[in-house]
Amino acid sequence: MIRREFLKKSTLAGAGAITAPYLLPSGRLFAASGNRSANHVVLVMFAGGVRHQEAVGMRYLDDSQVGEPYPGNIMYNMLTGAPPEMKIVYGTGEGGINPIPPILSQSLASQGTLFAEVEALSTGHFGGLNSIIQGSVPGGQGLKQRPVNPTIFEYLRRHGGYGATDTWFVGNSIGGSLPLLNYSANPDYGIKYGGNFFAPLITFGEQGFEYLGNAKVYHPENELAPMYQLKAFLDNNFANNGLLLDSLGNTEEEKQSIKMFMDLMYEKIQAGTITLPPVTDNADTATVGFACELLSWFKPAFSVVNLSSVDACHSDFTGYLKSLHRADHAVGFLWDYIQQIPEMAGNTTLICVPECGRNDNPNAILDDNNWLAYDHSDFNSTRIFSLCVGAGFEPGLVRGSEGNPIGRASDAMMTAADILGVDTSLMSPYLYGGTTSFLDQL
Amino acid sequence: MSTQDLNNKIVESSEQGSLGKLALLATATAAALQSCKKDPEQVGVYELNDVALTTDSANKTRLKTNEQYVSILFTNLFQAGISSDIVFELNECFLSIGDQELAREVLISNLFNNPAVQLPTVENMMADLDGFIEETYKRFFVRLPSEGEKTWVRNFISNNPYMTPELVYFSFALSNEYMYY
Repeated sequence: MIRREFLKKSTLAGAGAITAPYLLPSGRLFAASGNRSANHVVLVMFAGGVRHQEAVGMRYLDDSQVGEPYPGNIMYNMLTGAPPEMKIVYGTGEGGINPIPPILSQSLASQGTLFAEVEALSTGHFGGLNSIIQGSVPGGQGLKQRPVNPTIFEYLRRHGGYGATDTWFVGNSIGGSLPLLNYSANPDYGIKYGGNFFAPLITFGEQGFEYLGNAKVYHPENELAPMYQLKAFLDNNFANNGLLLDSLGNTEEEKQSIKMFMDLMYEKIQAGTITLPPVTDNADTATVGFACELLSWFKPAFSVVNLSSVDACHSDFTGYLKSLHRADHAVGFLWDYIQQIPEMAGNTTLICVPECGRNDNPNAILDDNNWLAYDHSDFNSTRIFSLCVGAGFEPGLVRGSEGNPIGRASDAMMTAADILGVDTSLMSPYLYGGTTSFLDQL
Repeated sequence: MSTQDLNNKIVESSEQGSLGKLALLATATAAALQSCKKDPEQVGVYELNDVALTTDSANKTRLKTNEQYVSILFTNLFQAGISSDIVFELNECFLSIGDQELAREVLISNLFNNPAVQLPTVENMMADLDGFIEETYKRFFVRLPSEGEKTWVRNFISNNPYMTPELVYFSFALSNEYMYY
């Protein structure tokens, strides 16, 4: 009789454990889909408003400056096509006459899938970045305001069970409300599911080095442990008043790892050994250098890198071309470097997508070459592209064409979630209508 | 009166006495039960106002900005003011790091490498532990500790040989209460 009861109860308990949803320490209620097609995704927000004509169109000056019929591809690490033959201004040296040699022997487009024209959901930077990070452009989303809807970092951490240091956002500055994009204001998600963030040019720049670069080393057991214990007592007393201060949720081990990474960066800066692209003469290229260091240290499941120097195009078309060429150089370097990280090589998907495009017609500002500049506000500014390389993306495939868009900016985050095994149906209430993984649009 | 009659009277008298005692007991019990009943009308007869009891930290409800935090931290640690340039640069440092608690921790551990930090020695701390605890609460939390807090912290420091004034200050500067005003 006792044995029979035991068998009955244990069977019921077992069935319950299998069928009932369970709550993991990360706060995750449901299991991830588990179908990862790669262990790592690197998403590059490229790169501050890229005009479709100079990017996928490969028309260099031909479609932007009257009387300058010189087409060509200045993004030859990413796209397949011959570079311009005349009027070279985007390279290095006096007048930029020396194009930067390609890093990759084969363009990323030939290694992966190019979505030749994709719909941007916003013609502005912050709106565009939000559309990539949160997969939507909700009404009421303002500048200097955290995303209204959950971000990809929160979906990954809450529903995918990823740790805080599994998700990183590497910003090229602290301007444009960029530091607000690592988690949303959504009450069901928020900071405890946020991604880690560094703006390395500040953190590891002059002021970062001065105020953060000389941290005292404490013994983890003898000194740090009692220090945290006393802090916990003080916090518990304060929590009795109903006031809690949520944090990003880095574990103590993760915090120690971040501190060690910071110390390493300060050491490398002093020694001049930071990994940098061969040509590092602007913020984007330097940011990618630090992003490579970060990938090498943390091997995160998901990381976002933001580039934005091409926004010089508002008043300096020549500067825009230079920055676009360097952004391509930086992405080529990034992909090449990823292949040198054993845990990430052959197991990483790279997604590049601009947050917005640029106008069809120029404004009235002339640069040193008497070339007109371009803002971003018209329909042409919604014309962007997406380049996806890695598991699941067919090499050399081109989907869509100029005037025949396939996909939208919000698809990038859905693709990342899809690749990393998160049940994307949990995200749909907050997403822009029709948002679909690029993997489902091949 | 025969002996038999006398005995009968004694028994009768004894039974009457027992009944009397029982009656007395019942009356007393009833009176006691009646007197223990709470009279709802009696609440508030002391004519005192209700007072909500809270801790001294309860009125700290506003989160400090990064600028406020570093300004106050500098003052607390160095007993001197901080220039607006440094406040601006430190705010940028904070903005460049996602985990703000970690950023504060790294900043504080950097500041403790500065010899200008005003710290009592371990000997001074142990010589007057209660005084040190009170001063630390006043310095960082702008209030006195409760007796419970003082006792707990005193025992904690006494029982942890590695605790120094620096680590105590570190805990207070990193605490949630210090983030509010």
